[in-house]
Amino acid sequence: MIIWIGVKERAPMSKSMNFESEGPWSNVERLLLCMDTGSWRTQRPVIDEEQCIYCGNCALYCPVQCMIDVNTYFAPNLDFCKGCGICARECTKKAITMESEEAFK
Amino acid sequence: MAKAKKLPKVFDYKKHEDPFAKGVAFCAGCPLELLLRFIPQVLGNDIVITGTPSCSAPVLLGQNIGSWHKLAYYGTLMTGAAANATGLVRYYNRAGIENTVVCFNGDGTAADIGFGNLSGAAERNEKFIYICYDNEGYMNTGIQKSSTTPYGAKTSTTPVGKETSGKSNRSKNLPLLMAMHKIPYCATATMSHMEDLAKKLLKAKELKNEGFCYLHVFCPCPTGWGVAADMSIELCRTAVKTNYFPLWEAYKGNFCLTNEVKKPKPLADYIKMTKKFAHFSEKDLDMLQRDVDYSYALLSHITGLGKECAL
Amino acid sequence: MSINPTESAQVKVITGNAAAAIGATLCRPDVVAAYPITPQTEIIEKLSEFHAQGILDAEMITVEGENSAMNAVTAASVAGGRVFTATSSWGLVFMYDAILAAAGTRAPVVMVNVNREPPGIMAVSSGQQDMICTRDSGWIFIVAEDSQEILDMVIMAYRLAEDHDIQLPVMVHYDGFYLSYMAERVEIPTDRDVDEYLSVLKGQPQRPRLIPGKSLGVVTHGILEGYVELRYKHCMALQRAKQKFDQINMDFNRRFGRAYDGQVETYRSDDADIVLVGSGSMCGTVKTVIDQKREEGIKAGLVRLRMYRPFPEERLIETLKGKKVVGVIDRSLCFGFKGGPMYTEIKSLSSELGGGRLLSFIDGLANTDITTAHIEKIIDACLSASNGASCNDVTWVCYEG
Repeated sequence: MIIWIGVKERAPMSKSMNFESEGPWSNVERLLLCMDTGSWRTQRPVIDEEQCIYCGNCALYCPVQCMIDVNTYFAPNLDFCKGCGICARECTKKAITMESEEAFK
Repeated sequence: MAKAKKLPKVFDYKKHEDPFAKGVAFCAGCPLELLLRFIPQVLGNDIVITGTPSCSAPVLLGQNIGSWHKLAYYGTLMTGAAANATGLVRYYNRAGIENTVVCFNGDGTAADIGFGNLSGAAERNEKFIYICYDNEGYMNTGIQKSSTTPYGAKTSTTPVGKETSGKSNRSKNLPLLMAMHKIPYCATATMSHMEDLAKKLLKAKELKNEGFCYLHVFCPCPTGWGVAADMSIELCRTAVKTNYFPLWEAYKGNFCLTNEVKKPKPLADYIKMTKKFAHFSEKDLDMLQRDVDYSYALLSHITGLGKECAL
Repeated sequence: MSINPTESAQVKVITGNAAAAIGATLCRPDVVAAYPITPQTEIIEKLSEFHAQGILDAEMITVEGENSAMNAVTAASVAGGRVFTATSSWGLVFMYDAILAAAGTRAPVVMVNVNREPPGIMAVSSGQQDMICTRDSGWIFIVAEDSQEILDMVIMAYRLAEDHDIQLPVMVHYDGFYLSYMAERVEIPTDRDVDEYLSVLKGQPQRPRLIPGKSLGVVTHGILEGYVELRYKHCMALQRAKQKFDQINMDFNRRFGRAYDGQVETYRSDDADIVLVGSGSMCGTVKTVIDQKREEGIKAGLVRLRMYRPFPEERLIETLKGKKVVGVIDRSLCFGFKGGPMYTEIKSLSSELGGGRLLSFIDGLANTDITTAHIEKIIDACLSASNGASCNDVTWVCYEG
């Protein structure tokens, strides 16, 4: 079960969801937490699929590990991409450019 | 359209799935996030990972019943991290429970508040892997100086002003110090050299069956050091190229460089990349260069000796 | 090899420290970690000796400090093992953060603490101040009066700590120097009897364990009501521990034939006008003087605290209610309060005690002996108070008081 905890809202935690034990034990099978980090970014990577040589640097160095393998190139998972720009910096062919989120509103 | 090619060899090391949720609370561009996701991808999702209050705590440790990842974890005290890990492995090994315990700590715990028990666990040759991610300061509490903070660095407890100009003394060489405990495996690694890191993780996993394994990972803090988020990996690379952070391993006490830099770049190349050295004078640069040169000279002297320590 | 593989209990003359080591060994701990400190050192030397001879089959961790000892055993406990450690005073306070962690994590660690004066003034002498320093740690505290009780309480400590209803660490205290080094007659139970006494735990539901590859993680953040929930559960478990301890004592009597009456021991207090309250080895002296005073026609009695945490308030009210004078002997100080710590705690029950006089006697700090003369003086002071004479609330008996 995945509960999204956004930056502004907190998932409601009923008494029964706090703990099932006497001590401070968590149980990922009861609750896997996840943040809406895609909402953080101010810029996003744009991939030029033609330029991409599938070197894998972007997928290797992405801290979020959100680069999805589309067989001949990689595409960012925009639900979670924080827009750090490492992929663009590390791309061997400069096939990734960071573009402002404003352009996509 | 480029044809589908084979990915580089480093991807072969990422055999297991990433057990962390995709959205976790690390700064954008944080190399620590990359490291933390990488470790279980290489070592497997059945590692038991311990963590302390630190930059990794909001992600490694859960919130009430919820967890940010699928690994078995133990939230330890900073003052006793290595002792906690000791207790785990001693019981697991006695009970015949197969285990890889990764004691995962920042330099604050490893070099300072938790150093005593780290040294104790290494001396007793406890069978687990201790990974220190070195961001050269207490970052989670707001960028305070630690004993791995380099000479002259600006931090919130070694600020730059009329009377003071950054940290007034040199840092300690923690990885070399740990190697002097004569442990089966001790190595340095960083996030720009992922294949090197992967190999070292696997060697540690194998050698922890013989005793204590220590990995010191250079892991810059973009937020704390005043570096743009996209420059984290380049910063690691430059640290290696300037010999500020040489990559080496001591395999059963036998030292060797795993990435020999024959013509190191000037330290100035590294210094100019971060705001924490923005106030540096020629004298400061000279001091730090001498510190780097000293450490590297020691290291080069003991590499290639071809001697293994008595375990 | 083991401690007592025979069919019957063995009688030996052994020190309190040896009794503690034997008690722990009989319970078959999986992991033992300890650091030496006077007056506890003999315990770990004995355990190491047992281990070397094959009598104790456990992982022995020679840690580099007490803080690591507590951290190591807490982790081993969290992984599912039975653990043991021992310390005293300086070591006890050095492991303070780890002690809090053990209690908060609800790890059933069993530890013996040999009472000695803690840091502040250099002292290598007996006193209960170290116990007082750590009384709010959330642990269960038991205080032994003699070597037999030390051995027996260590066994009962495991039964209590690991009980599924409780899941709390237990500390067994006893006076350093007086009990640690003194040798007296002790009956050592058989391995089989101890195994069977503890086997009750096997039939209970298992506590959560940290297992590689499984979904549980421990020492998660307690957030808001989640934190409060854990603290509430902890406090409720401490309250349950009182009755559970009484039951465990009764079960012990059934199996081993030695009767312990739970949270408090009463000695000739039922019809007493003057009741002394104390804990630890000095109570032996108190009982001797009480007998003597009884011969003289003075109705004196003793209520001895065996369980100190949780505070046995119900039993104390039951045994002290309506008494003319209650004299509480503290072997420690309650900084910031005029009287001793146990006196201050019992004073909080005043409204339920029926209006008798409550007096504090501070004695026995730093190996100043609590002699029969001291106890006589204390009883005499209580006697004159009961006759209406004016008397100080607080008397420092060991300091020209």
